[in-house]
Amino acid sequence: MSWRAEPIAAGAGAAEWWMEEWVRLSAFAYRNLIMARRNVFFLFELTFWPGVAMLSHGLLTRFLDLTPQMTAFILVGTVALSAVQVCQLDVAYAVLFDIWSKSMKHQFLTPVRIHHLALGSWVVGVGRGVIVWALMAVIGGRAFGFDFLGAGGMRVTLFLLGCFLTALVIGLLVCALVLLWGTRAETSAWAAVNFFVMLSGIYYPVSVLPGWVQTISAGIPLTYFLDGIRAGYGFPPRFAHPFAIGFALSLLYAVLAHWALAAAVTRSRRTGLLLKLSE
Amino acid sequence: MTVWPGPSASAGHRQVAWLSVGSTQRFYQIDPDGANAPAPAGPLPPAWYDEPVMPVSPLAVEAHDLAKTFRSGWLRRRETPALRGASLQVERGAIFGLLGPNGAGKTTLLSILATLLLPDRGSATILGHDVVREAFAIRRRLNMASGNASFVWSLRPAEVLAFYGRLYGLHGRSLRTRVAELLDRFELTPHLKTEYNELSTGLKQRLALAKALLNRPEVLFLDEPTLGLDPDVSIRIRAQIAELRRREGTTIILTTHYMREADELCDRIAFIKGGRILAEGSPDELKRQIRIGDVVALRLDPAAPAGLADLAGVLQVQTRGDRIECTVDSAEKRLSEILRWLVEQHVVIRDCQVHEPELEEVFVELAR
Repeated sequence: MSWRAEPIAAGAGAAEWWMEEWVRLSAFAYRNLIMARRNVFFLFELTFWPGVAMLSHGLLTRFLDLTPQMTAFILVGTVALSAVQVCQLDVAYAVLFDIWSKSMKHQFLTPVRIHHLALGSWVVGVGRGVIVWALMAVIGGRAFGFDFLGAGGMRVTLFLLGCFLTALVIGLLVCALVLLWGTRAETSAWAAVNFFVMLSGIYYPVSVLPGWVQTISAGIPLTYFLDGIRAGYGFPPRFAHPFAIGFALSLLYAVLAHWALAAAVTRSRRTGLLLKLSE
Repeated sequence: MTVWPGPSASAGHRQVAWLSVGSTQRFYQIDPDGANAPAPAGPLPPAWYDEPVMPVSPLAVEAHDLAKTFRSGWLRRRETPALRGASLQVERGAIFGLLGPNGAGKTTLLSILATLLLPDRGSATILGHDVVREAFAIRRRLNMASGNASFVWSLRPAEVLAFYGRLYGLHGRSLRTRVAELLDRFELTPHLKTEYNELSTGLKQRLALAKALLNRPEVLFLDEPTLGLDPDVSIRIRAQIAELRRREGTTIILTTHYMREADELCDRIAFIKGGRILAEGSPDELKRQIRIGDVVALRLDPAAPAGLADLAGVLQVQTRGDRIECTVDSAEKRLSEILRWLVEQHVVIRDCQVHEPELEEVFVELAR
C-alpha cells in the first residue's frame, strides 16, 4: 500500500481545534517561563524594581507625614505602575525575544496567529503581575502598615484584572511599534507604560492635570481602574461605574491593538522588515 | 503513527485513510494501483469517509512573474529592485536549486514563496494554495532553514524544538517523541544542556534543520544550508537533505553558492541574477544550454595536425604543453568524428580524455 499526502485536518473536530489553539498559546507561555527562570534580569523585574518602588514611595509618604488614606492613594499608584509594567513586558517579549536573537521569521513562518502570541505571553505576565502585587502588598503592609485588601477583595480583583488588561493593550502596541520601526522602537517597551500611567493620575487625581490632558486621560482605561480602587479607600469617585467603563474601554482597545499588530505584521511582510529582523 | 485501513471507495470517490501524525490528522489517498489492506473487523473508525476526487497538481511550487522592490528612507526615497519578474515551476518531490551571485534575489524569491514577504507583482502557489491569500493554510505544510539561522539565545536545543513544535500544534507525547527523534537524527542529544548561543556553527545549523522538519513539511526551503560549515559537516548535511527527499518525498528548494552541492543534490536548477531567472534546467541541460562546450584533450603524434579546428562542431583548439584541447559543442557527437579524422590523417593518438564543463563554469558564464 502506498500513501500520498493530502491537505491536513480535512475533518478535524472542534475538540482538536481547541486543543491546537491551546497548544499554540502555551508555546509562548512556555518560552516566557523558561526565559524568566534562566535570566537574572527577569528576577530584577519581579522583585528588585517593585521592591525599590514600594520602599521609596512608602518612605516618601512617611516623610510627608501623610494620612493612611493619602498613603493608600499613593501606594495604589505604585502597585499599578509595577503590575502593568511587568505584565506588559511579558507581552512585548513575545516579539522582543525574537528581535534580540534575530529569529523573527521562524515565528511567523508557523501557523501562528496574533492572539496566540498575545494571550500566551499575557498569561505569564498575569502570573508575574500577581507575584509583584503580592510582594508589594507584603512590603507595604509590613513596612508602612498599608492594607492592600482595604478596598475590598472584589475591588482589588477588578483593579488587578484592569491593570492586566491595560498591560495587554500596551504590550500589543509595543509589539506593533517594534514591527513597524524595528529595533528603534524597542525603548517603547519601557517608556510606553510610564507615559500612560502619567496621564492616568498615577500619584495624583486626574483633576490636577490641564483640561485638555484630562480629556486624554478619560480615554485611558487605567484612569478608571485607579478611580475605582481609590473609591474603596474613601476617595469620592470621579466617574460613575469606573470599573465598567474601564473594562469596556480595555476590551475595545484590546481589539484595536490586536488589529494594529496584525496590520504591522502584514506591513513588515510588505516592507521586508520581518526579514531584516531575522538573521 | 497509526494508520487505519479502510473500506473500498464508492464510484467517483477515492479511498482515503486517516493518519495520525503527531497531533495533526491527515487524510491520505490510497494509491489506486496499490493493494489495499483489508478493512478492520467491526465498526469502522469514524475518521473514514469517501472524499470527492479533486485534481492534484503535480507541481508543488508554481510562481509567475514575481517582482519585489525594497524601499527605504523617508526624505530621500531609495528603491532597490530585488526581483524583476521571476517565474518557476517545481514538481512534487523534486530538489530544486536556486543559484546566483550575492544580491541576485534568491533569498527574496524564497521568502516570498515561504509567505514571509509579499510580492509587489505576480503570483505564486504552494501545493495549490496562493502564498498571499492562503498563507496560513500553507504554513502548516512548509518549513524553512537558513544557513545563518538564529534562535532565542538562552533556549536549549530541545526547548527550541519544543517551542516551535507547539506552534505547529504538536503536544504531549507526540511532541516529546518528535523532538527526541529529531535530536537523535541530527546528533544533538549530547548537547541537551547547552544553550543556543553556546552551540558551534555546525550544531546551530543542524538544529535549524531539525526545526525545519518538526511539522514533516511537504515543501522545505533551505537557504544556503551549508554556509560556513566544515566540509565534513557539509557532506553530512547534504546526505541528510538527499535522505529526506528519498524517505519522505519532500519537495526541497535550496539556494546555494556551492556548485558541487547543486550538482550533487538538485534535479533542476535555476540561475538567477539581477532579480531575473536567466536559465533553468537540469545540471546537464544547463551545461549544454549555455554552450560552454565539452573539452576533448588529446596527446598526439605529430603534436598539432593542421585542419583540426576546421572540423564540424569544433569551437576552439588550444595547445597546452604536449596536449591539444579541442572545445567541441558536444563530445558525445563529435568525439568519434575527431578520432576518425585523426586516423585518416595518420596521426597517432597517444591519449584522449573528455572533460564536461563544471557547473561552476556555467555559473561564471551566466554571472558575467
